[in-house]
Amino acid sequence: MSRFAARRAWAIAGKEWRHILRDPFTLGMALIMPALMVVFFGFAIDFDMKGIRAQMVDRDHSPASREFGRVLSASGFVRLQAPAPGELPLTALGLGRAKAVFTVQPGFARSLAQGLRATVDVDLDGSDNQTATTLSAYLAGFQQAATARLAQPPPRALAARYLFNPELSSRFFIVPAMLALVLAILCVLLTAMTVAREWETGSMELLLSTPAQPLDIILGKLLPYLGLGLAAVAAVYVFARTVFGLPFAGSHLAFLLALLLFLLPCLSQGLLISVLARQQVVAMQLAMMSGMLPNFLLSGFIFPVESMPRFFQLATMILPGRWFVLICRDAFLKGSGPLDLALPFLMLALTGGLLLGAALARFHKDLEP
Amino acid sequence: MRGPLAAFLRKELTQALRDPRMRLLLLVVPVVQLTIFGLALNSEVRNIRLAVYAAPSDTLAWQAARAAYASGYFLPSPAWGQPFDRLRAGDADAALVAAPGGMALALAQGRPGAQLLIDATNTVKARAIEAYLQAAAAPSLPQPPGGSAGVAFSVRVHYNPALRSPVFLVPGVMVMVLLMVTMILSSMSLAREKEMGTWEGLLAAPLSPWQLLLGKTLPYFLLGMADLPLLLMAAKTFFDVPIAGPLWMLALGGASFIACSVALGTLISTAARSQQQAMLGSFLFMFPAMQLSGLMFPVENMPAFIAWTAWLNPMFYFMELLRNVMLKGGAPAIFWRDFGMLAALAALLWVLAWRRMSQTLN
Repeated sequence: MSRFAARRAWAIAGKEWRHILRDPFTLGMALIMPALMVVFFGFAIDFDMKGIRAQMVDRDHSPASREFGRVLSASGFVRLQAPAPGELPLTALGLGRAKAVFTVQPGFARSLAQGLRATVDVDLDGSDNQTATTLSAYLAGFQQAATARLAQPPPRALAARYLFNPELSSRFFIVPAMLALVLAILCVLLTAMTVAREWETGSMELLLSTPAQPLDIILGKLLPYLGLGLAAVAAVYVFARTVFGLPFAGSHLAFLLALLLFLLPCLSQGLLISVLARQQVVAMQLAMMSGMLPNFLLSGFIFPVESMPRFFQLATMILPGRWFVLICRDAFLKGSGPLDLALPFLMLALTGGLLLGAALARFHKDLEP
Repeated sequence: MRGPLAAFLRKELTQALRDPRMRLLLLVVPVVQLTIFGLALNSEVRNIRLAVYAAPSDTLAWQAARAAYASGYFLPSPAWGQPFDRLRAGDADAALVAAPGGMALALAQGRPGAQLLIDATNTVKARAIEAYLQAAAAPSLPQPPGGSAGVAFSVRVHYNPALRSPVFLVPGVMVMVLLMVTMILSSMSLAREKEMGTWEGLLAAPLSPWQLLLGKTLPYFLLGMADLPLLLMAAKTFFDVPIAGPLWMLALGGASFIACSVALGTLISTAARSQQQAMLGSFLFMFPAMQLSGLMFPVENMPAFIAWTAWLNPMFYFMELLRNVMLKGGAPAIFWRDFGMLAALAALLWVLAWRRMSQTLN
């Protein structure tokens, strides 16, 4: 008996496919959820902070200080409110009424008129890091705008130009990476359950008593989910291009190759978990812990990998999501050549091969009497 | 405790904790995860690779570059070929390109002395790069006459003065891990009984519907409550996250949040026919709830048609409660509002779960 036969793998794939089709809920989830999420998050998450609640305490009561308030409001980043009478900046921050309090000190207008530096105190709510960090980055812009309006502005020494996303659109930043994230999570989760289910319900014994070989079973289990993953990507791609108007700067062929290379480690990771766990609850927890959280937090989706401590920069090398996030952003926004992406491609192939090998080896071991 | 309910509770706890791997997953892995993410995540942008394209004789440009590297945020990247290609290939995050003829000349003529090209595929990082570089380079550039005039900010950051990321993120990750453990377990346990056919056996047992509901949920509630002090301890010892407020606030908030999460899990499992469906159902709730909870993205910054969902999101209230109690010392007004909302949501979810459960039984 040969070790592997395409016909047998195909038959197992057919059985698995029928499992999926029989369960319209799972099928619907697999197809609709990724697209839904990308649309949802493409609309919901905007790193351009707009309308951050802020207060302005005007202790100068001069035309200049009022003009300063107008400059702040006009930026659109903050929504200025007047503080309640007698309220201290710290109270407003503590009660969450404002994320930032601008206090214009007396003498603001006089300093400006004399050509001196006029200081505005800013109190930020540091318990919300994300907003505080973003606001501090905006302060430079406020300063320039206010100085330009109220005093003689010095010429700008450095002129910044943003490449690949000139309007700094959050959607361009989020949506391509979201594709990687949703796929990684979905493929790991779905496959993690399949083999565990066969063990748990006892149907694995049946499957093993057929002429099917371990490789047949593994490949047969992977194929349908590979198909589902590809269908989900197609849906997301169409949404990204039409609804969000994303460009696609790279080569479609290279992207398709990267996609297949990425689905392999994801599916194999799910399989390995499934083979190891043999129980759906355990498989599920393992898939969540090893698939969802790392891909969400360590892949560079939001937190740049380069900003992590050295150890984690190296450790995340084995995370397929990290490489695919990179490839997605590149394919949609930058369009660099194949040589520039050699490392991500290589790492995807490597982790995919390793994980699939591990799943196969472990599965063989389970079958030995 | 005696009687059928006690026996049922014992069965559930034994089932959940029988497997040594499961004990590990429930009690050790959450702490490990918290530690890993707390260590790795940093909302401050660092290690920005900056390539400088300037003639060797352009002292001004190199002064600015040296100042940038000395600030600790930037790393040197070799200036090969065209700056645009370097950025596109991902070999550099930003490039400082001095004006032809030197920065000094350009500045004297009233033109920008250099162009700063920034890779904006990550918009947050791009903004930070510009702000850091402008700030780092400014002192080394010649001040134009009257240049010190204008508006300046003196910034003070409260509650987390160094803007340390763990202080911000660890409470968030705690919420995430807690939700994951309690909700998934409770949703899958009932679905498992259905899938394996043991549900009928339970129905035939002398248990009233509320005993069934309690037996299926209480163990997971207790497990979640056991995880809470573990996570708090890890946050305190490993990351030095302050716990400024009273512990009873954390316990009350935690209990009401875990009650919500277990009730949600039960609701999902009454609808699901298999463990896979239960898992996907939990996931369908969990993923959006996580993103819309304010863990990383401020909710008030979202469009109104999405932001209102935060009002129904237990994660949102618990996140706010944790940050309020741990970092700000627990302003009572905020605490009672968040706790009240959590308790109300828990009550609502329990009524729903109870009704679904009795429907399943008939």
